[in-house]
Amino acid sequence: MQYLVQLLISGLAIGAIYGLIAMGFAVIYKSTGLVNFAQGEMTMITAYIAWTISTTVSGNVFVVALGAILAAVLLGLIIERLVMRPMLGEPVFATVMVTIGLAVILRSAINFIWDAYPHGLDIGMGRGIVHLGGIGVRTGQLAVIATLLLLLAAIWAFFRYSKVGVAMRAVAADDRTALLMGISATKVHALAWAASSVIAGIGGVFFALSYDLSPAMFQLGLKAFPATILGGLDAVLGSGLGGLLIGITENLAGGYLGSGMKEVAGFAMIIVVLMVRPFGIFGERDIERV
Amino acid sequence: MRTGDYRQSYGELVALIDSPPVWLWSAVLLLALIAAPYLLNSYALSFLMIILITVTGALGLNILTGYTGLISLGHVGFLVTGAYAYAVLVSKYHMPPLVGFLGAGIVPALASLIVGAPSLRLKGLYLAITTLAFSFIINTVILEMRWLTNGARGIQVQRPEIFGIGFDGDAAFTYLCLAIAALTLFATLNIRRSRVGRAFVAIRDNDTAARVMGINLHAYKLFAFVTSAFITGIAGALYGIYLSFVSVEGFPFLLSIEALAILIVGGLGSALGAVLGTVLIVLLPEATRLVFSLFSAQMDATFTTGAQELKSMLYGLVIILFLRFQPRGLVGAWHDVKRTWVHWPLRY
Repeated sequence: MQYLVQLLISGLAIGAIYGLIAMGFAVIYKSTGLVNFAQGEMTMITAYIAWTISTTVSGNVFVVALGAILAAVLLGLIIERLVMRPMLGEPVFATVMVTIGLAVILRSAINFIWDAYPHGLDIGMGRGIVHLGGIGVRTGQLAVIATLLLLLAAIWAFFRYSKVGVAMRAVAADDRTALLMGISATKVHALAWAASSVIAGIGGVFFALSYDLSPAMFQLGLKAFPATILGGLDAVLGSGLGGLLIGITENLAGGYLGSGMKEVAGFAMIIVVLMVRPFGIFGERDIERV
Repeated sequence: MRTGDYRQSYGELVALIDSPPVWLWSAVLLLALIAAPYLLNSYALSFLMIILITVTGALGLNILTGYTGLISLGHVGFLVTGAYAYAVLVSKYHMPPLVGFLGAGIVPALASLIVGAPSLRLKGLYLAITTLAFSFIINTVILEMRWLTNGARGIQVQRPEIFGIGFDGDAAFTYLCLAIAALTLFATLNIRRSRVGRAFVAIRDNDTAARVMGINLHAYKLFAFVTSAFITGIAGALYGIYLSFVSVEGFPFLLSIEALAILIVGGLGSALGAVLGTVLIVLLPEATRLVFSLFSAQMDATFTTGAQELKSMLYGLVIILFLRFQPRGLVGAWHDVKRTWVHWPLRY
């Protein structure tokens, strides 16, 4: 029983990280209709920048957090402006392939700028252990679950009530009509890229805090795919919850079926889910007019 | 003066080779390829082998992604299945290599039915991600089936001997690759101009319209999956023999992206494009290294230390630049050049 609870809690913790990255996917998909295959790499860059700040400038939590968020915003804006905006109006296939090319470039750039060895992100907290009813949990793991839930609530409120959030939904629903209503699609896209970069970046920093930074971190992006597919590519909140679900499934499969199963449990799960609901659990059915 | 390109019957329109100069140059190219193993040194020969093997694989992906418009991010899964099928049949059960090659085609084809069937309901990006999931699952399956595949230890593969002809030497193995690549090229070109090929292209261009015209979407999509996996599997077997060692690490995920890059750079949906794209992508790192070494010895040193990173950065950059500035790929550029050559100084 205790083993099960332990698996569930660590599953929730890693699932929260997947959830954050999956929300990054969903924010971009919702406003631009693209799957950003470079999400894992963007996450990784933010985490590496946070590590660099913590080792060179200051290990203070607030400094690192602020620096990482600023860096993530900047990264999202630069990528949107330099790489994605020129592709506006091109077919989806071409644009998605551009993000794949971008992923390859960013991944190698990381290995080129930083090195190929694992690093621990040490900001003096997050690695302490709290005992909850006899089960040891890292504070970082608790923090990431709390962050995910907070962000979920915040994003729900943002899309529901704020003017910008409604504008983003309008562009996602029908960009031409949105343009006619006076909404700047390019601004919305830029905002989406920046927001997605920050949300996923937070996930990356938490991952570095609980585990380690390594060049294999881009696989987080691949692991978060099942989460966002499960929740539905256009469902931001669904993606966040999908992350938790995938994290738990993965940990249970790893704990009871063997470590090989842990790697693919999420992927096996989405194949099954897509057979039943080809648009994800919370996604909107795509109705085609002929 | 040539005033245009006139075709008067449907037969002329679908002919593989439509003019004497194309006949001539194709023959010259074939002769050059046959002579190459005797003229090239072993370093250049290894590039030729890689190009021929990659052409086979790229043509396989071209049937699925180029003709039928189904994006696959998991083609390395079929590649590794083919390589393992060959390795298990030939190295472990000592079957003749021809049976091995047949198995290398059939096993991935069966696997493609498993991944293809649930994918029939999916479109576009969802399909791409399902194929991605497949390639990760297949890696785990191979690692877990230790009794058959030796798990992470991999399998040694010898160069084959077919009909008493040994393909031990590099030159002989190049001929084997050349024969298979040429056969594949003919097969895909013929598929493209047949009823099946037209159905594929119809599905790519507008699947609703294709369905209305009576094309069985499920059957043709599955057929595209099976054909594509068969060809890719054989390319995988060749690559395994080339590496002389088959393991999961030998077939990284980057190969899937490299294959898509080849199709994009060459021109999506064109067999000629797949060939041109392969030549460019395979030779690109080498060409860059040469250019760097011309500038200075120091840059050459940077290139050797960060070679792998720079190489993949180049892939990424080339993909993005082609999509941005030449979306029709090298084939498109070649058509433009031809048109300019014929019509100059007129625009068209």
